Amino acid sequence: MAASTRLQVISLYRMMMRESQKFPSYNYRTYALRRVRDAFRANRKVDDPKAVQRLMMEGQQTLALIQRQASIGKMYQAQKIVVE
Amino acid sequence: MAARVLQQCVRSFARPTLRLCSSNLVVRAAAAPSAALHRPLSSVADTGRTRWLGQNRTPPLTVLCRQYGDLPPLTLENIKDRVMYVLKLYDKISPEKLQTTSHFMKDLGLDSLDQVEIIMAMEDEFGFEIPDAEAEKLMTPDEIVQYVADKKDVYE
Repeated sequence: MAASTRLQVISLYRMMMRESQKFPSYNYRTYALRRVRDAFRANRKVDDPKAVQRLMMEGQQTLALIQRQASIGKMYQAQKIVVE
Repeated sequence: MAARVLQQCVRSFARPTLRLCSSNLVVRAAAAPSAALHRPLSSVADTGRTRWLGQNRTPPLTVLCRQYGDLPPLTLENIKDRVMYVLKLYDKISPEKLQTTSHFMKDLGLDSLDQVEIIMAMEDEFGFEIPDAEAEKLMTPDEIVQYVADKKDVYE
């Protein structure tokens, strides 16, 4: 993987993790963090530039989705559950 | 002092109604039981004395109990302990292999994604954000300690 793409992927990973932490609801938050982590781990060995490009696009869309859902979640905050 | 308290109690024992009217202490008036008439003199004197001492003791206690909600001041030692504690809790690092100089990728066998997670854990621990450009360069616990100390203005 080229150095620039590598940096882009890591930066996307960091942004997705950071946005996932903003979910107010414990269940969504832990799910999002686990899902992002697992997806990046699963595609760690992808070498094909086209595939990487496609996955990056998918990641960008998911990032937007996480941001949307987190801000919607903030409008409907519920009481914290016991595990928090 | 004890004699004075005793004397006061004996006097109030003689005139319970008058004491209720003229008592200067609200607490005493409220707490004065009407049954005091039937109690032996010694017990009345005892309660009077302890109450008197209690009232005398309260103001310094409230002054001593005053505290402020703040963390202990950061020192290099302190930062190092917290960094190592966070790293020990990270599930992919074995605590035996961990040293302050060990490189995350070369010595501990982590990848770049793990390193990102470690930096995010540090952000949570110390409560400030580490920009991407600097986060990439932090590869050993020592470097993290140094970076946090620089940001928090902690020197030897």
